[in-house]
Amino acid sequence: MSTSDPRPDEDGLEPPGDDLLAGEYVLGVLDAAQRRDVRRRLESDPEFARRVTDWEWLLGPLTVGIEPAAVPAHVWPRIRARLGWGSAETQSGEQSGWWQSVGLWRWAAGVAAALAVAAIALDLTSHPVSRPLPPVARIVTVLAHDDGSPGWLATIDTSRGTLQTMPVPSAPDTQGRVPELWLIPPGRAPLPLGLLSTGRSLLITVPVALRSDLTTDAVLAVSLEPPGGAPNGVPTGPIIAKGMIRL
Amino acid sequence: MPHSDRTSADGTSLEALLTQVAMGSRHAFESLYQQTANKLFGVCLRVLTERAEAEDALQEVFATVWKKAGQFDAARGTAGTWLAMIARNKAIDRLRERPDPGRLAPIETAAEVADSDPSPQQQALAGDARRRLEACLQRLDARRRALIRAAFFDGSTYEQLATRTGSPLGSIKSWIRRGLIQLRACLEQ
Repeated sequence: MSTSDPRPDEDGLEPPGDDLLAGEYVLGVLDAAQRRDVRRRLESDPEFARRVTDWEWLLGPLTVGIEPAAVPAHVWPRIRARLGWGSAETQSGEQSGWWQSVGLWRWAAGVAAALAVAAIALDLTSHPVSRPLPPVARIVTVLAHDDGSPGWLATIDTSRGTLQTMPVPSAPDTQGRVPELWLIPPGRAPLPLGLLSTGRSLLITVPVALRSDLTTDAVLAVSLEPPGGAPNGVPTGPIIAKGMIRL
Repeated sequence: MPHSDRTSADGTSLEALLTQVAMGSRHAFESLYQQTANKLFGVCLRVLTERAEAEDALQEVFATVWKKAGQFDAARGTAGTWLAMIARNKAIDRLRERPDPGRLAPIETAAEVADSDPSPQQQALAGDARRRLEACLQRLDARRRALIRAAFFDGSTYEQLATRTGSPLGSIKSWIRRGLIQLRACLEQ
């Protein structure tokens, strides 16, 4: 993809490929002009941005060795001002009450569910089945309980091989079991995709080997499992929610 | 009911806070600031060394976190690492804007950079990711390891590293590039 290297090496070395350039940027050895070039490229080149992210996760654990230092008190008000949030007096108590309330969560989840259903309906009505997938496919699957109420929303990103799961908040299982997500390709045994949260959104990266199974008519199902997940990769508890993927 | 998370015992609250920040909660953002500002200030200060500059960088860090919290990907690592890398990146951008790079200690490439070695407690906290990275760093030869550490912790450019070590620029580049490739190969094993 690198049609022109922005920084020919002056010392007889082969110019680094994109991958090493991304590594050099993350490590921090590039000069000001080179960093500006890289930042511009990050805006327009998702493949290159992905390489940078990979290096950030690779080298990131080094930051653990850095000692914290006490931040002066005047920094927080400056951050608030920078974000346009006004003076500190107006903040106290602000959204703390309503944000934490169950009502809001249920409302937000309800709206999300309604939007998802609307999106699916739109999808069915406006596109013939044979329509090719857009370059970045984001398909929402509702994982519903037996009574039809939504338990989780799963947004599939086929280009990245990820599943974003968003729960409709519910009480944790009284027996301490945890929800685990399974992918069930038509006519085959469930494949484990990882644990879910009953309270928060989680991004699940689908193992490369399973991505080809994220297809129409495959089922996403949630079972209740012992803490840590089903011990042998086979569901042991009841299925509490499920939904069929429609790409 | 406060939402509970049973999927991980470590770093849960920061990750949950980031999710809420991504949805626009100022309250969660303030909690996140309270829990992480000192660490992230430490990261900025490590690169910039001057407090006023580190304070400015920290403001940029949190403005970025407010905008980009939704990009955090819990499948790839901890929220703490993600935040620290944003801080480091902002600090290096600011460092590069300085007209004068400032004084930098010579690097004795045979020796280790003592203050960047994590304490046993820190290693325990960071868990597997830090331990694996450290094990792979130990497999590099001492010179590549020292250069990669100096680059990472001080934010030195290739040119500055050449000056600090008294080695030719071309050698520094190829040592670091080979070191990076070797490091990743080791981590991917």
